[in-house]
Formats: sequence, structure tokens, C-alpha cells
Amino acid sequence: MKSIIQARELSRRFGRTLAVNGLSLDVPKGSIFALLGPNGAGKTTTIKMLLNMVRPTSGRATVMGTDSTRIGPAEFSRIGYVSENQELPEWMSVRELLDFCRPMYPTWDQDLCRQLVHQFDLPLSKTIKSLSRGMRIKAALLSSLAYRPELVVLDEPFSGLDALVRDEFMRGLLELSDRTEWTVLVSSHDIDEVERLVDRVGVIDRGSLRVLESVSSLEGRFRHFQLTLAPDGELPTELPDSWLLKESVGRSVRFVESDYREGTGVQRVRSVVPAAENVTASPMSLKEIFMALARTYRSEGREQE
Amino acid sequence: MLPFTVELKIGTSVYEQLVYAVHRAIVSNQLSPGDRFPSIRTLSQELRINPNTAQKVVTRLADQGLLAVQPGIGTLVAKLPDPSPRERSDLLARQVEQLVVEARRLSLTRAELVRAVKDHWTRLSESSPPKGREQETSTEDHAE
Repeated sequence: MKSIIQARELSRRFGRTLAVNGLSLDVPKGSIFALLGPNGAGKTTTIKMLLNMVRPTSGRATVMGTDSTRIGPAEFSRIGYVSENQELPEWMSVRELLDFCRPMYPTWDQDLCRQLVHQFDLPLSKTIKSLSRGMRIKAALLSSLAYRPELVVLDEPFSGLDALVRDEFMRGLLELSDRTEWTVLVSSHDIDEVERLVDRVGVIDRGSLRVLESVSSLEGRFRHFQLTLAPDGELPTELPDSWLLKESVGRSVRFVESDYREGTGVQRVRSVVPAAENVTASPMSLKEIFMALARTYRSEGREQE
Repeated sequence: MLPFTVELKIGTSVYEQLVYAVHRAIVSNQLSPGDRFPSIRTLSQELRINPNTAQKVVTRLADQGLLAVQPGIGTLVAKLPDPSPRERSDLLARQVEQLVVEARRLSLTRAELVRAVKDHWTRLSESSPPKGREQETSTEDHAE
């Protein structure tokens, strides 16, 4: 599969803090890719390095075939970028903003623009300054989608938005989906909003990428296990590393298997724990998988401190 | 708005759920042969799902013969294709067995299970029974 974004060993230091540490990732063309991680994990710095808004301390990246440090206006006319703290010309009205953006993009689609104005219910004559947070982000998205960018980069677009605006935002974004060449990179600290939308995820933890995988592969290899120990049975002291978040209360044992194989997964548990009875394996949603990973990384972080 | 009912639940694959929802809509006549089926974009927008997933669903349904993709016109609901002997024996051997096992596990009586099956059969085919299947319904009534 062709990659629209390739990052190799990207690092960025701010003073003593290593915000991003040797991060490599590929975003295949045509995918909707979510960069997930808690606040402060390095998502924004990564995105800014990819779009030449921050220089990497080391490593390199290419975006749409161009070295990220050479990205300029020509590339930006093919990229739609919306961030949490988007700066917009406060004094302009929404109409003026759109009139201002239009001539900068050869691919501007006025019909799509009108349709999104209607769909987002944007007041054209109001100034940006007077818009609510939800309206501002919709105006920012509109001005970044109307030229049908090949790559849409959204940095925490949903934070602080109410459910209705989030929903409108996603619907507007999907307006572009009848185009064949269309890739989205979206960062979020919460999987909730993007769960059904994404097909690939990268999970970032303290500046490093820990998971880079398709959603279907993740859903295939994660299972939530529950079992009961036979009355005189015991749990072995050595358990596989792939078993996360092990918990036991009395004879009940629970854990998350991160290396489940269809067909042999339950047998494998029985061979590790011969005293296991009533072994059940349940599939996990992307949200549950993400939570299990986040909890695992957090406890690892505590051990290191 | 989509012309059929679909409620996506968290935790199971959107793809499977959507394929099933369309099957259900077609057997229950919520979608009839010749009806226009929503575009990939409409499906993905209405359900807020990945367009690639919507594309996979349409491809699968077209492969199964439930949808006919007509270039330039769009996607239409096709006539229910005749089941292959394998599909029919699969349903009768595997899925019916699972249903019986589950019913016995829950200590349902045979009559209760038969009634539940009949109720669901009626509910799905109320508007108009799928053509060529009336015969079977009456045989089933007879058997009880």
C-alpha cells in the first residue's frame, strides 16, 4: 500500500524535554488514521513536524512525496489542516474568510462550500470573533475542506465540542468521501469520537509510538478473558507478557490477551493455567482496547519512576 | 436518512452489523427489488462510519447478489437470489443446531421455541411474504 505520510525516527527536544522520541509511522493513502494518546504524549508536536511547523531535532518525514522540511504553500494547497487552537482572522466575517481563502486554492469547490455552509448552519455575516467555539471550529473545517484537499490533518478537532457539533463535524468531513484519493490523519486523546471512523490507529505514549496497526488486526488480537480456577488449583507465577491487566479475586481471574489467535486462543490459556475452568474470551471494542493499552502504559510509567 | 433500519452497537464489527441489517431489511421487505440503495458517501455520512467500511459492505452485498451496481445509475436492490444448496444446508445444519442448543441451555420447551420461530417469521414477512416461500410456511403450520 502506498504511504502518503512516512516518518522515520522523528525526535524533537524542547529544552530538557524529549517531546517526541524516535517516532516512525506510515499513513497509507486512502486511510482514515487516528493518532491516539493522552494529553502531552507528543501528538501535536508530531503533527507539527509533519507539516513543517516545527523542525525535528533528528529524523525525517515525507508528506505526499515531499520532504517535510520543504513543505510550503504549494503543498498546503493540497492539505487541509484544522487544529484545536486554530488561529483565524478574528475581525473577518465568515463570508470574508471564505472569500479570502477561495483564490488561494486552485481546486476550490464553490458548490461544496455552499453545501457545507448550509449543513453547518454557519452565519455568513457574523464576525469570527463573535462565533462560539463550535461555530469557529466548523468555520475552520469548512475553509479547509472546500478545496477538496488530498490530505486532511485534524489535531484534536473534537476537544471541547458538544456532541451535536462533533456529529456535524464528522458528517461534514465525510462529505469528501466520494473522492477516491482522500486520506485523513486525526489526533485525539479519546477514541470515542473516532471509533467507527478510523481504519488504522497509532498509539503514542510519552513520545514513542507503541502501536501502529489496522483496526481489524487490533480487534482480532485482543480478547478479554475470564476464567475460574478449580477448587485446589492455582495461578502459575509466570504468566505470558501478552496478558495485560491481570486481576484475580478469589477463584475468578480476568485479563486482557493482546496476542489472541482465532482457533487456538482458548487452548493456549488452558495450557498456561491447567486449573482453569469456564474459560471465556470476549471480543473488545476499539475503545476497550485503547483503555487497556492506556492503563498498561500508565502502570509501566509508574514502575519506571 | 437511510431507507432501512440499522442500529450499530459498540463492540462488534460495524461491517458485520451493517451486512446483517441489509439482509434483514430485504427479507422483511423494508427494501424491495429495484429500490435505490444509498451511495457509499450517504452510508458513511449517515452512520458516521469509515467510507472504506461502507464500500466493503456494498461489495459484499453485491457479491452475494443482493445489490446490483449499475454504472451511471447507482446501486439498486436486486431480487433475492436463489440460495445455493450449500447455503440452505448450512442454515439447517449449523445455525438451526446452534439455536436448538441455546434454547435447551435456557430450558425452553420445544413448543416455546417453535412459537418464537413462528412469531419472528411472521414479524419479518408481515408486509408481504417472500415470493415462492408461502408453500413452506403452510407446510410448517401443518407439521405442528
